[in-house]
Amino acid sequence: MLEISELRKRFAGGPDAPGGKVALDGVGFSVRPGEMYGFVGANGAGKTTTMRIVMGVLQADSGSVSWQGRPLDYDARRRFGYMPEERGLYQKMRVAEQIEYFGRLHGLSAPAAHKATEELMERLGVAERRNEAVQALSLGNQQRVQLAVALVHDPEVLVLDEPFSGLDPIAVDALAGTLQERCRGGVPVIFSSHQLDLVERLCDAVGIVARGRMVASGTVAELRAAESDTLRVVVRDPAPGWADGLPGTVTVNGDRHVLRTTSADDQEVLRRAIKAGRVEHFGVEQPTLTEIFKEAVA
Amino acid sequence: MNGVMLVARREVATQIRTKGFVIGLLVTALVVAAVSFAPKLMDRPDSYTIGTVNSERLPLDRAAPEAKFEWKEFADEATARQAVLDGDVDAVVVGGTKVLADGQLDDELGVLLQSVNREVKLGAAGVSIPPLQMETVGEDARYDSARTGIAVVLVLVLFMLIIGQVSMVAMGVVEEKGSRIVEILLSSIRPWQLLAGKIIGLGVLGLINLVVILGVGLGAAAASGIAADFPPGIGGLVVGVLVWFVLGYAFFATLSAAFASLVSRQEEVGSVITPLTMTIMVTYFVAFYATTDATGTLATVMSYIPPFSSMVMPVRMAATEVPLWQVAASMAAMLVAVLAVLSFGAGVYRRAVLRTGARLKLTEVLRAG
Repeated sequence: MLEISELRKRFAGGPDAPGGKVALDGVGFSVRPGEMYGFVGANGAGKTTTMRIVMGVLQADSGSVSWQGRPLDYDARRRFGYMPEERGLYQKMRVAEQIEYFGRLHGLSAPAAHKATEELMERLGVAERRNEAVQALSLGNQQRVQLAVALVHDPEVLVLDEPFSGLDPIAVDALAGTLQERCRGGVPVIFSSHQLDLVERLCDAVGIVARGRMVASGTVAELRAAESDTLRVVVRDPAPGWADGLPGTVTVNGDRHVLRTTSADDQEVLRRAIKAGRVEHFGVEQPTLTEIFKEAVA
Repeated sequence: MNGVMLVARREVATQIRTKGFVIGLLVTALVVAAVSFAPKLMDRPDSYTIGTVNSERLPLDRAAPEAKFEWKEFADEATARQAVLDGDVDAVVVGGTKVLADGQLDDELGVLLQSVNREVKLGAAGVSIPPLQMETVGEDARYDSARTGIAVVLVLVLFMLIIGQVSMVAMGVVEEKGSRIVEILLSSIRPWQLLAGKIIGLGVLGLINLVVILGVGLGAAAASGIAADFPPGIGGLVVGVLVWFVLGYAFFATLSAAFASLVSRQEEVGSVITPLTMTIMVTYFVAFYATTDATGTLATVMSYIPPFSSMVMPVRMAATEVPLWQVAASMAAMLVAVLAVLSFGAGVYRRAVLRTGARLKLTEVLRAG
């Protein structure tokens, strides 16, 4: 299990912020093997800082990161796969050489690095580009190569900062499929994203960070449970004032009245609705991640 | 160590394939070959065409065995005069008593004609003068000009290679820092491994350049025959130059990497390594001055002070005989300086290379300890 606890980080102040800026104020969560963890938050909330601390690129002022019960050190990090926020590849180096090179740096033998590179290029659909310089590739293909670099040494943990940003739906599926494969193989995967529908679709667990603090963390179901479900009723051409006294809001859309309520007694609502007019819809709606997110960071 | 070798190999493999490297190497090889042949082409033996009117051919060959003389006979002075004006002959000896020339007669030829004429006439009168015996009381100066020439070329080659490779190091460091490749690299290897690999890789490329230059130079010198004028001990000099290149390069490249790690954009590389390039230039100027006065106080003192010694000592070694202990002492001092710079540079690099963004101040990085 990857455990991140109580990370705090303050950046030294510049002319615009003499007192410094608090980037992290006690961020902590844990990711189990085989779990895909979505890390969401507004811009500047502290996602990248957290990931950079996990990868040892930044030092936290306090707090700890541990993997399999031991504080994360250099040797353990070597077995992690990392995709930084700002993409880093040698622009003039060829695709296959580049992936192999990073495999070798992570300690693979030459044949093992070669084999892993071939498989990944095939899997990610960049095999025909093997001999092209990275700078000649489209953004989407560069991102695939970047992911290949993070995966080439068959990492124990994946830490990916915005892996899906700027990709078309087909590339998103290719990347997501590869990540899910690794995840099923028992690898904990953390990724940050602003595409909440994607996070909701892919992730087993989600952490929401705002202004350097964790405001919510858990499985999507747990986060939903924390929010009350919304009862949504649509009544056509009801008698006026049918919903008076019920908690919730009524919006009128032509001759359709839509009642949304989280606290009213559903049976009472149903009786009143049937009496008032034709009930077209009566159902409980689970909040989307977007709603949970907006609620959490508000 | 494996990480260092992987990084170094990548540097060599990527650079050696670029057009810039291949063309650069070919051009240097051509220039060096041309320089090695040039003295033979320019320094051709003197050759004179001399006419006679009613005169004996003077035995000029005996007095000047290296020059070539061609003789032409003219029937009368008028045709001879015309031949001089047309430039067909350099001079015409008339009746064994006067010499015709167009304007001023070539100095050497004039002296030669006068002295041989005097000798011949005296000989005819039965007077023989034994030639003066030449004896040197100073140092053997036969190789002085060859030595100076070699020193000038060597110091230029060292300067060009060091400044070229040192800026490659700086650009490479910023390429990795600016594009954040360094974040991925440093999750798999240590900062010192990345630094050492880059410096070694680009150093190997510099050495390849240097070996090609020395090889082509010596080969061309042997082919053109000027190698015969080389002073003894050229082999030792070649080895010395290779060692001095490694020491000088290690010193400047480490500082270059450290300074470059303070900035994140290629546009800032030039300004951040300016103090360093200035130091390399000053080193070169001192060394170049030393070629003109290799035994002077300045050259002698500077040949012990790092990093100036990395170019001044090879100049002294080329231009004069330097006792081995002096070379060893100077190399030891330079080695100490290189080790000091390595520990300082690696520290700065380690602290600065992940701090992307605005240009960092050296003091700030050192304080951050």
